[in-house]
Amino acid sequence: MLFNSLSFILFLIIVLAFYYSKILNWTNKKRMLLLSSYVFYGMWNPPLVILLWVSTIIDWTAGKQLAIEDNQKKRKMWLMLSMLVNLGFLGFFKYGDFLLENFVTIVNSIGIDFEAKPMDIILPMGISFYTFQTMSYTIDMYKRKTERARTFLDFALYVTFFPQLVAGPIVRAKNLITQFYEEKKATSEQFIWGLFLLTIGLFQKIVLADTLLSETTDNVFGSDKLLHGIDAWVGTIAFSGQIFFDFAGYSTCAIGIALMLGIVLPDNFRYPYASLGFSDLWKRWHISLSSWLKDYLYIPLGGNRHGITRMYVALMLTMLLGGLWHGAAWTFMIWGGLHGTYLILERLQKRHLPFKITKWNGIFLAFITFSCVNITWVFFRARTFEKAWSMIKSMFYMQTDGEKILDTFTIIKVTTVIAIMFLCHWLMRNTSMKAVSLKTPSWVLGVIWAIMTFLIIIAQGSGEQFIYFQF
Amino acid sequence: MKLKKSLIYAIGLSLIAIIAWEIYWRSEGFTTSIDDNDALWAVERAKVDELSKDDVVLIGSSRVHFDIQLDKWEEKTGKRPIQLASGGSSPLPVFHDIVNTSNFNGTILVGVTPPLFFSTTFPEAQPWAWPLARVNHFHNRTYAQRLNHQLSIPLQKSFAFLSENKGVDGLKLNELINKIKIGKRSKNTNPMPPFHDFSVMALDRNVRMKKRMETDTAYANTVKRVWQFFFESDGPPPDKKSTMAFFLKDLEKFKAKGGNVILLRCPSSDEFREIEKKITPRDTVWDELVAKSGIKTYHFEDYHQFQNLTLPEWSHLKADHADYFTEELIKILKEDNALLNQKTN
Repeated sequence: MLFNSLSFILFLIIVLAFYYSKILNWTNKKRMLLLSSYVFYGMWNPPLVILLWVSTIIDWTAGKQLAIEDNQKKRKMWLMLSMLVNLGFLGFFKYGDFLLENFVTIVNSIGIDFEAKPMDIILPMGISFYTFQTMSYTIDMYKRKTERARTFLDFALYVTFFPQLVAGPIVRAKNLITQFYEEKKATSEQFIWGLFLLTIGLFQKIVLADTLLSETTDNVFGSDKLLHGIDAWVGTIAFSGQIFFDFAGYSTCAIGIALMLGIVLPDNFRYPYASLGFSDLWKRWHISLSSWLKDYLYIPLGGNRHGITRMYVALMLTMLLGGLWHGAAWTFMIWGGLHGTYLILERLQKRHLPFKITKWNGIFLAFITFSCVNITWVFFRARTFEKAWSMIKSMFYMQTDGEKILDTFTIIKVTTVIAIMFLCHWLMRNTSMKAVSLKTPSWVLGVIWAIMTFLIIIAQGSGEQFIYFQF
Repeated sequence: MKLKKSLIYAIGLSLIAIIAWEIYWRSEGFTTSIDDNDALWAVERAKVDELSKDDVVLIGSSRVHFDIQLDKWEEKTGKRPIQLASGGSSPLPVFHDIVNTSNFNGTILVGVTPPLFFSTTFPEAQPWAWPLARVNHFHNRTYAQRLNHQLSIPLQKSFAFLSENKGVDGLKLNELINKIKIGKRSKNTNPMPPFHDFSVMALDRNVRMKKRMETDTAYANTVKRVWQFFFESDGPPPDKKSTMAFFLKDLEKFKAKGGNVILLRCPSSDEFREIEKKITPRDTVWDELVAKSGIKTYHFEDYHQFQNLTLPEWSHLKADHADYFTEELIKILKEDNALLNQKTN
């Protein structure tokens, strides 16, 4: 089920009605939330709920054993079981065809004539998110960094909680399960703020991403022509805005919906396009994934504890695997590799050419960071290397006879939206929406809210899928 | 408390804005309508799997869609057909789907608009890709999509501004924005003249031509200009060989299941008729299909009742003539025992 659909509005009203009715006690409310979460997921493809159940049962059992077992070998075995099942699901469903394709390429390249029929495996929605979430529980249990979930119901709800089930934020057990222990009820301020966040999230997705930017992205990246530099840049910045509004929109909806239930989810985006460098970017973009990768990949790989070279290797490996997390294609690896390179170059600069960031050079630095991020998006969005390389050549005017496929109004529209987005990120980078709203007169907030609602309704989003569902 | 005030402002202002928006578009002549989208088509397609041998399914392109009126058909035969025809589409992907994925073995009436029927079997080509997308949607639709569609119906029936129309009649925000043009930077701008929607769709996909097409010649002429644009475009030539082979293979399969197929060539006129004669001449296309298929076939040129009908834009019948066409067609089909089940009175 998609947040930007009529069925979700009906679903949410029913869930809220049961949640705030007096007929259910807290345990039954949690059961209702769990059942609703399975319905939320099953409305897309019912049989794939079984994967959620398997992941839940395995990790609950592993967590239980890790809590009571002292034998280190057996503890390790339980951890491996959890990793094997979750990564096995990911490997099979997400990377099965990719691995097969590459295997065929390799054996063909060494002269063996081999053909394999694609497995055409369906990718279960949100599998990358919920497997990472449940794995964080067993890893934390193994490291004794978190308490065992008190009941199976609390744990199952942690794995399946519908607001963040299919596209995050990826929440750690200690931050979410503990919230299920005591009865939760949103205050009226929390509830209305949650509704406001839901509206902002839908506005970002339906109006900004789908209505104003997606068509330009599709036209530019779908074109098989050699493009003019302006067209290539405009298509790229359009995607830059589209993916931010799409994904941040989803996260904002998720946080808002959870808040309407009295559950607090962590921020997933903090105005990332005003980042001052790439370390800053990864503290602001998809925060729940980057902190996951840092805690469960970068640090176990050695982090910065074993010298500079090892640190750079760990950094690059983390970013390459982070790229692969997004999709089973080499273009995602390039995207991750570019970010790894940026991070390494930034650390070298800090070491050898340090300079002070002031309010005067800050926006310039943010703009440079944003521009470099845009280059990486080309590889993220292009379906083939050829297309990505053609775009890069156009962007840097290595081909002068490119075709103009975008009309003047489209260029003005996209650049205006992206310029406003960049300036908003810059102005908001050290504050929060909540802080700004507290300083804003209630009638102004009401007018902004009404404008967003009106635009959402007249945009008539017909349930376009969120980009990150495919990851 | 501050947020509560903001919420009250937001609800009040949103309601005022939406009501004003609706009133504005109604004042501009827009009315409530049902969108002929994949979801609506899939609802009708799903009914095919429940039909008996006596039932009739209509497939084809826009002519069968406009020219056969379901109310009249039901009145004259006692059975309401399922309407699966779609504008600009070849009937072959839908026929293939019904033959190969359903147990239906009643009557399928196939509308033959020669430039579309014989256009292509290439999956990426528009006349094939459009109906195939509908078939795929039917087989792959999620429960959430089904529910979304059902929930959208009361809204579509209530608000004129809720419409999936594209182009000149599009009222979605992106359609309205896309109408803004500045300069002529790109050569890629769509050269097609404005294409107004001239149909009124019912929930069971019955279509009637808008009354305005009969009374407003300028409006009807806008549609004619679109047809002329297509006539002048360089499209690929018809692929008679592969389309006919594709159809005949499925036809044999359907006949083996006990199914009954009727081919119907609906009327066209003036420039449209002339261009059809040129690119898909009757003697080399329709007549060959008739000879090879060995089934009941009906061409409007062979019946005096169908010679003086009004087609305001040369390709589709005006609403009351569509009623007449349906009524007369059923008389012919009955006399010919072409239907498996007939109302005797």
